[in-house]
Amino acid sequence: MKPKQKSKLNRILPAILLGAPAVFSFLIAAHGETTNSVDAAAVQVPANEATVADTNSAAVSPAEAAEIETLKGQVEDLDQKIRILDRHRELDKDDATAAAKTQPILKLDASGFTFSSADTNFAISLHGLIQLDSRTFFSDHNLINNAFLLRRARPIISGTVFHDYDFNFTPDFGGNNGAQILDAYINYRNRPELQVEAGKFKSPVGLEALQSDPYCSFNERSLVTDLVPNRDLGVELHGDLFGGAISYAAGIFNGVSDYNGATVNTDADNDKAFAGRIFLQPWKTTGVNALKGLGAGVGGSFESDRNLAAGLTPGYTTDGQQKFFTYAAGVVANGQHWRVSPQGYYYFGPLGILGEYVISDQEVSRTVAPLGIADLRNTAWEISAGWVLTGEDASYTGVTPRHPFDPRTGHWGAWQVVGRFEELNVDRNAFSATLPFALSTASASSARAWAVGLNWYLNRNIRLNTSFSRTLFSGYNGATPAVPAQAENVLFTRIQLAF
Amino acid sequence: MKTVLKILLPLVVTLAVTAGAKEVTLLNVSYDPTRELYQEYNTAFVKYWKARTGDDVVISQSHGGSGKQAQSVINGLEADVVTLALAYDIDAISQKADLLSADWQKRLPDNSTPYTSTIVFLVRKGNPKHIKDWDDVIRPGVSVVVPNPKTSGGARWAYLAAYAYALEKYGHDDAKARDFVKQLYKNVPVLDSGARGSTVTFAQRGIGDVLLAWENEAHLALKEFGADQFEIVTPSLSILAEPPVAVVDKVAKRHGTLAVARGYLDYLYSDEGQEIAAKNFYRPRNQAIAAKYAANFSQLKLVTLDQEFGSWTKAQATHFADGGVFDQIYQP
Repeated sequence: MKPKQKSKLNRILPAILLGAPAVFSFLIAAHGETTNSVDAAAVQVPANEATVADTNSAAVSPAEAAEIETLKGQVEDLDQKIRILDRHRELDKDDATAAAKTQPILKLDASGFTFSSADTNFAISLHGLIQLDSRTFFSDHNLINNAFLLRRARPIISGTVFHDYDFNFTPDFGGNNGAQILDAYINYRNRPELQVEAGKFKSPVGLEALQSDPYCSFNERSLVTDLVPNRDLGVELHGDLFGGAISYAAGIFNGVSDYNGATVNTDADNDKAFAGRIFLQPWKTTGVNALKGLGAGVGGSFESDRNLAAGLTPGYTTDGQQKFFTYAAGVVANGQHWRVSPQGYYYFGPLGILGEYVISDQEVSRTVAPLGIADLRNTAWEISAGWVLTGEDASYTGVTPRHPFDPRTGHWGAWQVVGRFEELNVDRNAFSATLPFALSTASASSARAWAVGLNWYLNRNIRLNTSFSRTLFSGYNGATPAVPAQAENVLFTRIQLAF
Repeated sequence: MKTVLKILLPLVVTLAVTAGAKEVTLLNVSYDPTRELYQEYNTAFVKYWKARTGDDVVISQSHGGSGKQAQSVINGLEADVVTLALAYDIDAISQKADLLSADWQKRLPDNSTPYTSTIVFLVRKGNPKHIKDWDDVIRPGVSVVVPNPKTSGGARWAYLAAYAYALEKYGHDDAKARDFVKQLYKNVPVLDSGARGSTVTFAQRGIGDVLLAWENEAHLALKEFGADQFEIVTPSLSILAEPPVAVVDKVAKRHGTLAVARGYLDYLYSDEGQEIAAKNFYRPRNQAIAAKYAANFSQLKLVTLDQEFGSWTKAQATHFADGGVFDQIYQP
């Protein structure tokens, strides 16, 4: 019973109890069973226990008084029954409330499907990411297929056990690398400041590489990401201090080559890599709105490889995912490999800017004549910016439309324009005439690109985007047609479902 | 030099004492009507423990139907001590969760029951239904409020008190005694899960003619709602209710609170602990204090559980287990 109804009942019941005898007296009088006129309003009933017979004994015969007593008893019985029903409802409600506290919670919304225990100490969530792309290349001498492709197809299972242990399992069935396990890790999160993560996950170096796939501004990450590690197996200590003003991560990993879309589940050698990153957002928790979204940091890694072919990148790729640089046959990683990546972003209202610079310095050697070693320092940078035309806030974790797309209500979701400049330079010594580690007849030594795009966030789950990217190469002296022989012009589209 | 020492010495001593002192948190999982008792007792114990050890104790209380509370501890509620309505509930914690040894009741005097109580009747002022004894409670037309014996310790004591009366009345004819309590529960319109809920049903919701209540709960109702609202009726016979206390060893060890938990329960037997119990209408074990507060407690024949029903294990299996006598006689 609602409190209002209950209050009403509480007012009515005493009125019934007090007023009923008077009403009955009035009815009796009206039927002419007594000659005395009875004014119902004048009948005074001081309390539940008082009777009309007591107060109006002169006006009511003993038989009538008895009848009234009987009726009063009936009213009291009814009152008790109502009170009992009311109490039962109250107890049922209490039981339901108590039961709800122990019942598992089932939730399905834009964030996915979550099933958790009542105390949320145990939870399992099902998420997913599907990206259906098209790539159309222009002026490529039909060298590259224009195609629809399933870029990513990931069922994602994540959750928590025993309150403090998070887990994530993410396979990927999309792309050209076959089915693979991308993420499989356990994170112990007793305190946000001190967490331990173990398994397979992104190595903590590149800012753009660490950005979650559904939130990237363009279909493909920039040339910068060519020089940082992708997912790796290892153990990492990480955390957020002062409410996220300082984020840190440091771990020991198997070690992987510069960005490789095909991840592995084991180690190619006996050596280990150390990777770490610190990122500062000093104004994140302050009231300075214009600086809250300013963050800067540096990531880096260090490892040693000994005569390891797998320690070298399978190739640096363009925006259109075409290889423009590969090491020559017989070249292996042999010695130290370190990376450093100063990075930062700035988000304020609809504006978003992200910038990153990477040095990937690697010692390599030739295992075929002419034998020799070299320390090659490859570098890349990018700067990208975006503006949400519909006014929503831009962020590192995407754009949430203020009003989901619904033509019936005149809402069009969120629209964002994005642009990017980027460049990757391979060390000149790689193309040495006397001791070549890469061949200018097969690879370019530099790629420089710009891109513009338009992103349409229909709602939190569905996004459509299109972009055009143009990449210029230098240092290529090979035959044509070939990827680095002419500029790459590619038009992307994407339909993305993420939940 | 002496002046410097005079200043520094107290400072050093204070710092040393402060550095040695610690704050300890204790959870007492108790049954429904003991809120007021332990609120007062906790204040006294905190002072006592601070004076004795220098440590600050923060005591949290949890209250509910005794059976429900025991189940919560079994399910993981981290009680350092339990102060429940009956021994069977602590036995269940020992047997089902193995959180304390089976001989827990031998650790403290009087079978680890520092105070006792009994079941009395609370009726509306003037006793309009003329309820004097158990025979009046089973009369048709008398509405009885009592909690559910499946979840409430007090309700189990009330049930057994009625049963014991019937056994005495009918010369230990069990069939007649069973019929007697069946008549009683026919008169029960609402079964709350705990004693405090039944008090609310009777006193605040205005349901029923008589509340079968813990003696201390009945007195508390008089204090809270006024003697002009209710009166206590003492039946000719009732049961000696023995609410036991115990340290939940494994939890207390894990929390590092074993010493303070033991001290907490030991202090219940102290003169101050017994006084607080008596002031809150629990019958103290200390005879001198019991005599001092004799006016708080009616004189009546009290039978014990062991006399009439053998043991809690037996009583539980016969009467309150699924399919037991209560399930057979009670039709909601």
